[in-house]
Amino acid sequence: MSGLFGSLSIALSGLSVSQQEMETTSNNVANANTPGYTREVPVTAAGDPVEIGSLSIGTGVVLDKIQSLRDPMLQIQINQATQQNSSLNTALTELQQIQTQFASSTSGIGADISNFFNSLQQLSPNPSDVTLRQGVLTAADTLATDFNNAADSLQTQRGNVDQNVVQSVTQVNSLTSQIASVDQQISYLQSVNQNPGTLVDQQNNLIQQLSGLIDVQVIPTGQGITVATSNGTTLLSGSQSFALTTQTGSDGVEHILAGSSDITNSLSGGSLAGLIQIRDQEIPGIGSSLDQLASGLATALNTANAQGTDLQGNPGGNIFAPPPANGVGAAATLTVSMTDPSLLAASSDGTAGSNGNLANLSAVADENLANGQTPIDAYSNLVGQVGTTTGNTSADADSSNLILQQLQDQNGSVSGVSLDEEASNLIQYQSAYQAAARVVSTVNLLLLDAVNLGMDAAEE
Amino acid sequence: MRVNPNQMPDLLAALNQTELEEQVAELQISTGRSVNEPSDNPTAAALLVEANDRATFTGGYLQSISSVQGQLSTASSTLSSFTTSLQQALSLGVEAANGTVSASDQAAIVVQLQGIQSQLVSLANTTYEGNYVFAGTKTNAAPYVVDDTSPSGVDYVGNSGVNEVSIGNGYKLAVNQPGSQLFSASGNDVFLAINNLITAVQTNTGIGTAVNAVSAASSYLSARTVFYGNAEDQTQSETNYLNTAQLQISQQQGTLGGVNMAAAATNLTQAQTDSQAALAAIGKLSQDNLFNYLT
Repeated sequence: MSGLFGSLSIALSGLSVSQQEMETTSNNVANANTPGYTREVPVTAAGDPVEIGSLSIGTGVVLDKIQSLRDPMLQIQINQATQQNSSLNTALTELQQIQTQFASSTSGIGADISNFFNSLQQLSPNPSDVTLRQGVLTAADTLATDFNNAADSLQTQRGNVDQNVVQSVTQVNSLTSQIASVDQQISYLQSVNQNPGTLVDQQNNLIQQLSGLIDVQVIPTGQGITVATSNGTTLLSGSQSFALTTQTGSDGVEHILAGSSDITNSLSGGSLAGLIQIRDQEIPGIGSSLDQLASGLATALNTANAQGTDLQGNPGGNIFAPPPANGVGAAATLTVSMTDPSLLAASSDGTAGSNGNLANLSAVADENLANGQTPIDAYSNLVGQVGTTTGNTSADADSSNLILQQLQDQNGSVSGVSLDEEASNLIQYQSAYQAAARVVSTVNLLLLDAVNLGMDAAEE
Repeated sequence: MRVNPNQMPDLLAALNQTELEEQVAELQISTGRSVNEPSDNPTAAALLVEANDRATFTGGYLQSISSVQGQLSTASSTLSSFTTSLQQALSLGVEAANGTVSASDQAAIVVQLQGIQSQLVSLANTTYEGNYVFAGTKTNAAPYVVDDTSPSGVDYVGNSGVNEVSIGNGYKLAVNQPGSQLFSASGNDVFLAINNLITAVQTNTGIGTAVNAVSAASSYLSARTVFYGNAEDQTQSETNYLNTAQLQISQQQGTLGGVNMAAAATNLTQAQTDSQAALAAIGKLSQDNLFNYLT
């Protein structure tokens, strides 16, 4: 079709496409701050030309599609970085809480150990002095109480982390079921050749949230996507999601089950991995060091006291209630069982004035009783270890934050809505619209001229 | 190249970082410590535990030394009174041995000697903070009991125990000498010598021999007195050493965990400047885009 009506129709296509382009811009501007939103660009094409004889005449513009601009590789990298980042930051938060107990060198278990042995030293010049003897028992009490508090607070924190594991699994299940439902809608839109752009954004956003909780890989299949953990546990396949469950294990903590298989120890990313690392490795490790130290001290001091004679001339009894045979729980249950200071066996020859056995008690300070180390060395090493673990995790988390930030910057440079860009597009589309409208009005004038050709002549 | 249009998260992260640095600097300045949690410097945190242990023990040794010094000086001054009394006994003995002394004078000398004898028993039963100093480790009972049937006139009921007190790391000091080694040492028994002297003057026979025996026992005792002088010297030099050690430990604690105030203050100022710059950037960024210029 050619002629004035042809021009009108071409101008109309321009008007209509410009309107749609402005709609896209408007949508981008409206969603500039929507999390996970990917900017959209209108893809236009010239209309199929009409062949008239040897001439090929254009038929205007068509809107081919509205395309969401995203980089799938970048998305995968962001998900992986999120998994690592979330795991590290979760572990870091817990470790920072743990290390506050080991923060002071002048109070707490370390100082208590020093003070206890110093109280024995003070008794040594005057071994029958009841006030000094009471000082030893008081120092022992403080030591035991601080061991109890440290063990209790580790145990409480472990319980909280355990609860977090359960909550995180609930969130994982909620997210996988949402992703599956979105996937179903995407498949439907694709089957009817519609653009699922914003739904894909939504799905990617959900997958990123899921990556914050658990290590997942997204595998595109013919029908939608499959999401599986890195050890191969399928969390969802297309529109079907598979819920994880939690169950209290024989070790007293919650285990994560996929069907009947226990995947607790195979998670390598997401906050769940961080929580499990803290719950099953860091806290038990520190707890066991404290247990060894408490049990070693109690046993060695009881043994040393038994070698001497108390103020009443009897063989020395226990200072501490005997710790559990395997040491497990020794820190939490450490108790001073001696209540009468005269029962402290300072004497080596049976007389009240002898301090001979105090040397045996004091020698416990130099005994390699906890993991081959003296009490103060064992505690000092534990402080160093807790500090190193926290420090390393903090450094790893910092660099992981940077990596994630850079990836998100890259992603933003591909998918982010730039208001400058949208403003410039708007000017461009507005001009195009104005130009097309001008063509319509020009054609209209020409058509008037053509229709009124005769009239003008008659009037003259 | 297209840049990320949304710079806000980067700026917020930068702001967060500068605020963290401000907090760290503020904490360091307010606590005066650079190691406020183990992760600030794990090695220093571990070494600070050891340093606190050494500081506690150094303070403890110094405290023990002052207690031990009390015991030692009591024993030492008691012994010097003891020696003075012995010297009086010796003079009396020499006087009695002089053939010109009348019987009534000799009787008077005997009375004086008996007075000295009971004074010596009392000195040998000296206590320090309720404990008998010369009783060995049997410090809860008087070690010398008067016994007229005994050749020396007294019985030693203490024991031969010696207490050692640590006055430094691995440095043990014997802090007492039992009466059995001081006053009742076999061959140099002071009480036997005095008792024999009294008998000799009473009977006016063998006074010279008896005086010599007292003299020998007195010399022996003087030699044993050196023990206390030595011990007091040792505690004094160990006190000096421990005071120096305490200073070193406190310096080490300062180096490990203290704060360089000037550096911390500079860090704080730097962090505050950075923070203001980040805030200014955020303020500007939120205002400017092309839409503002469309008419």
